[in-house]
Amino acid sequence: MKKLLKTTLLCAALAAGTVLAAPAIAQDSVNLPNLSYRTGPFASTGIPLMNGQRDYMMMLNERDGGMNGVTLGYEECETGYNTEKGVECYEKTKATGIVTQPWSTGITLQVLPKSNVDKIPVLAPGYGFSAMQDGKTFQWAFNPPASYWDGANMILQAISDGNLDSLKDKKIALLHLDHPYGKEPIPLFEQAAEKHGFTLLPIPVGLKEMQNQSAQWLQIRRERPDFVLMWGWGAMNAGAITEAVKTKYPMNQFVGIWWSGHDGDMKVSGEAAKGYRAISWSLPNSQAPAMQDIKKHIVDAGKSMIDQAGGEFDWVFYQRGVLISAMLAEGVKVAQEHFDAKVINAEQLRWGLENLKFDEARIAELGLEGMIPPFSTSCADHTGHSGAWMIEWDGTKFNKVSELLTADRAAIDPLVETAAKEYAAANAPWPINEECKM
Amino acid sequence: MLYRTAGQFKTSYEADHALFPVKQDAWLLAFILVMAFVIFPLTASEFTFNALLVPVLIYALAALGLNILTGYAGQLSLGTGAFMGVGAYACYKLITIFPEMNILVAIALSGFFSAAVGVAFGLPSLRIKGFYLAIATLAAQFFLVWLFEKWAWLYNYNASGAIQVPNIDMFGVTVTGPRASSIVQYYFVLVVVCVVTWFAINITRGRIGRVWKSVRDMDIAAELVGINLMKAKLSAFAVSSYIVGISGALFVFLWRGAAEPNLFDIPLSFRVLFIAIIGGLGSILGNYLGAILIVALPVIIGTLPATFGIPISSSMAEHLNTMTIGGLIIMFLIVEPHGLARFWAIIREKLIMWPFPH
Amino acid sequence: MNLVEGIFVKPFQDMFGAPDFLIQVLWEGLVAGVLYALIALGFVLIYKSSRIFNFAQGIMVVFAALTLVGLYEKGVPALLALPLTLVVMFLLAVAIERVVLRPLVNQPDIILFMATIGITLFLIGFGEIIFGGENKVMITEQLFIPTGSFTFEPFGGFVSIEQKDLTAVIGAVLLVAGLILFLNKSKMGRAIRALGDDHQAALSVGISLSTIWVLVWFIAGVIALATGIVWGARAGVSFALEVIAFKALPVLMLGGLESVPGAIIGGLAIGILEKLFEIYWGQPLLGGNTETWFAFVFALIVLLFRPQGLFGEKIIERV
Repeated sequence: MKKLLKTTLLCAALAAGTVLAAPAIAQDSVNLPNLSYRTGPFASTGIPLMNGQRDYMMMLNERDGGMNGVTLGYEECETGYNTEKGVECYEKTKATGIVTQPWSTGITLQVLPKSNVDKIPVLAPGYGFSAMQDGKTFQWAFNPPASYWDGANMILQAISDGNLDSLKDKKIALLHLDHPYGKEPIPLFEQAAEKHGFTLLPIPVGLKEMQNQSAQWLQIRRERPDFVLMWGWGAMNAGAITEAVKTKYPMNQFVGIWWSGHDGDMKVSGEAAKGYRAISWSLPNSQAPAMQDIKKHIVDAGKSMIDQAGGEFDWVFYQRGVLISAMLAEGVKVAQEHFDAKVINAEQLRWGLENLKFDEARIAELGLEGMIPPFSTSCADHTGHSGAWMIEWDGTKFNKVSELLTADRAAIDPLVETAAKEYAAANAPWPINEECKM
Repeated sequence: MLYRTAGQFKTSYEADHALFPVKQDAWLLAFILVMAFVIFPLTASEFTFNALLVPVLIYALAALGLNILTGYAGQLSLGTGAFMGVGAYACYKLITIFPEMNILVAIALSGFFSAAVGVAFGLPSLRIKGFYLAIATLAAQFFLVWLFEKWAWLYNYNASGAIQVPNIDMFGVTVTGPRASSIVQYYFVLVVVCVVTWFAINITRGRIGRVWKSVRDMDIAAELVGINLMKAKLSAFAVSSYIVGISGALFVFLWRGAAEPNLFDIPLSFRVLFIAIIGGLGSILGNYLGAILIVALPVIIGTLPATFGIPISSSMAEHLNTMTIGGLIIMFLIVEPHGLARFWAIIREKLIMWPFPH
Repeated sequence: MNLVEGIFVKPFQDMFGAPDFLIQVLWEGLVAGVLYALIALGFVLIYKSSRIFNFAQGIMVVFAALTLVGLYEKGVPALLALPLTLVVMFLLAVAIERVVLRPLVNQPDIILFMATIGITLFLIGFGEIIFGGENKVMITEQLFIPTGSFTFEPFGGFVSIEQKDLTAVIGAVLLVAGLILFLNKSKMGRAIRALGDDHQAALSVGISLSTIWVLVWFIAGVIALATGIVWGARAGVSFALEVIAFKALPVLMLGGLESVPGAIIGGLAIGILEKLFEIYWGQPLLGGNTETWFAFVFALIVLLFRPQGLFGEKIIERV
């Protein structure tokens, strides 16, 4: 035993030494860490996204030798969707990484105030804090191409056929995860409910009840809402779909946010969940040139971690992961070209993410046509507001069922402004980037 | 040799009851304090502060609180995380209601809130014992975490339901919030932890500590010799929850910087319980040893594969990490059920004898 | 006044206003209660025979279900995967007895309890390495569990009863009946009970401690598999299932740590009561999600009046 302890101590000392000494960075690479979660109750939704992110970066390295000759270092740090682990990962990666991808609204909220001090951009595509769109206040945070408030507004448009006033006297239930992520859209829905005269009924699902939502669905059955909107994640999605099928809730009145439109979750119910819709700013297009390149260089070469037999390659979430990495890689490229530097630093990447231009031509050039709506970010607008499509489950896969929807800025921007102001006040002294023109 | 006690004579009872009857112990402590106060701050990187030093201190403090309840008074509690939460939320409310309040005062006061809640949930211990009590403390755990989620007043009606620590200055130096430097936070935590530990050592050595121990060893017998069980058990709950509450306030204000309710959920309680048990129940030193092990281990395991150049995905490392911690807990329990503190005690005995065993 | 009405009048009005809904609530509570009872039963068996508070019962449920689905996904036919899973659970029982329990004989309760938490962590890591963290679909059809639902239309409303829930209830009743028969009639079963009554006396009449321990952990594994199949059929199989272990704890408090009937009655009572409370009081008055703590608080209140649970053995303490 003593010997064992001695060995352990030795190892500990050794490891402690390596922790203290910052590892040297290779000359021609940029480190783009990702706070992933392939473990824990949210792993089922995390894994395809992480796989997509990883495979796109690896594909660029294989196909083009990185970005302008600079290897894109993709490194995962496992959080298990646990906020505490996430912050630890942030601390661990901030020394060498030039970006943080926190992958959870809870972790984003923790990292956000530190990003100003540490000067590291926080990239939270399609998640995080909706007010992050205000680039004046949140200089270091980015949530392209659409925020939750955009999503909430677009869902309301979709279920009312574009006329929100037709929702008057309707009852809308918001089935959400009882976590910062699930609570994020509530202010927008509350405001819309007041303005358009519908009743909002938030139904929280605790982290411990994700797989057993019978109480929540009994409530839905009792209240008989006209629509059920879902802000679900991980095991909660599959649980909700099964319960909805059981409660015989009409699927065409059940709509999810983009994180609730996951093929893996729907497979549990299969045919019975037909008609379920979700809003999504990404569409799978396995024929797109970039996807074909991934298939050629990574998947067929056996370097991918995806579950090929399960058809993961065609999943919405896998391809969304690809898009997320594409945005980041594009940010790197823009920064490289603007600063005429190869190995960029965090501050330069910030500029790059602020000047993303995903117009039709560029999307086609990247080989991602049909996968993402055009958008562009600016100093004042860190979201880009691409808009999104409705996708519908047909029993085996998701199909696009709507034209591109765009959020009603007039409904969202005032709310963003107040939220950003409140945030800055609560965290005073908080720097505001006054150079930005709105 | 190094630990020779020969030649150290005690000429009074007081000397015999001193905190360090053996001179070397005092030297060792002085050495550790010098390390903690001078050497570490000079050498540590920011990552070391945030991932190792500060959490070790805070977790050790939480485990110390639990240890007073479980190790000294014999009442098993699985609700530590929630009591930490009470301390954190109380501190947050104090700071937002009285923004001019000194953060140190706020933290000290927040402990009283968790002590009150602790006593309330400790009341069943007068009738319920053993595992039944342990499960009863889970009632506190789940109820309080639920309350943190539902009672919007606690988090100032923040839309995301999380609390954010503001930047607070003390004597012109920022101690909390994102602008605080980690070395300042480290010193702040270190001082608080030292003071509380000093207090805990003395309370457990004194009359109250002995009362607790007698209740732990057999409460009926203790009652028969005239100990007021209600007072003894509730005072243990109060002192324990006070320390746990302080550690919770430190946990959020000096380390995490923000918190959401499920941070205080059952995994945190278990983590603290692991520290207390692996460190050694009924020992003050054990909490520190346990905290070092439980906090440092994941960090080390996380870096080991990269050190040896083994290509391993981070999720695999995480799985292995969970597995290893589980395995190590079992191993430690088998090898030394009384924890690391006993391990140190054995080593010390040996050292006193060494090099002449007899 | 409103509050008083909300507590004492309105819930009952709701109940009798929509009796079909009430029946549905009761049925959902009953199904949940059956599952709680099953998990609690696993706890009780182990506690009875070895005084170990087995926290690992929750992860054993996940592990058993994952093994079953994992084997099926590897191409093993469902009807073969089932016995194979039982073999795996048996090996697990042997391993736990050898590696963990045997060296820890005679240690205080809390140490053994911690050891089972250690087992839980170990199995989480181990399981995720082998099976991955994705949500898996339980192979209900392949195991001939019907998936449709019956719909009744009493009182002008509707009550829908899932066939798999019905199967679960019937299966659980059969399992429990078989278990009680085994404990009361077979030689091994009586040995388990003897061990529960008095360790040393049992040893002195020649009952082998290690055999019984392996047996008991194996039975707990079988119960875990049954629970895993039933619960997995409802919501898929993933590591998030592990939290249901906590649901069994108040059941144990209520029913008593060593009582088999206590676990069953306590499980059903808690399943039904927490559902009723959540629907009629929790959601309208407290903002919902009361199921996380209701059972604990309820059991705590009962315990204040009966410190050993409803069916537990009376604690007699001597100095």
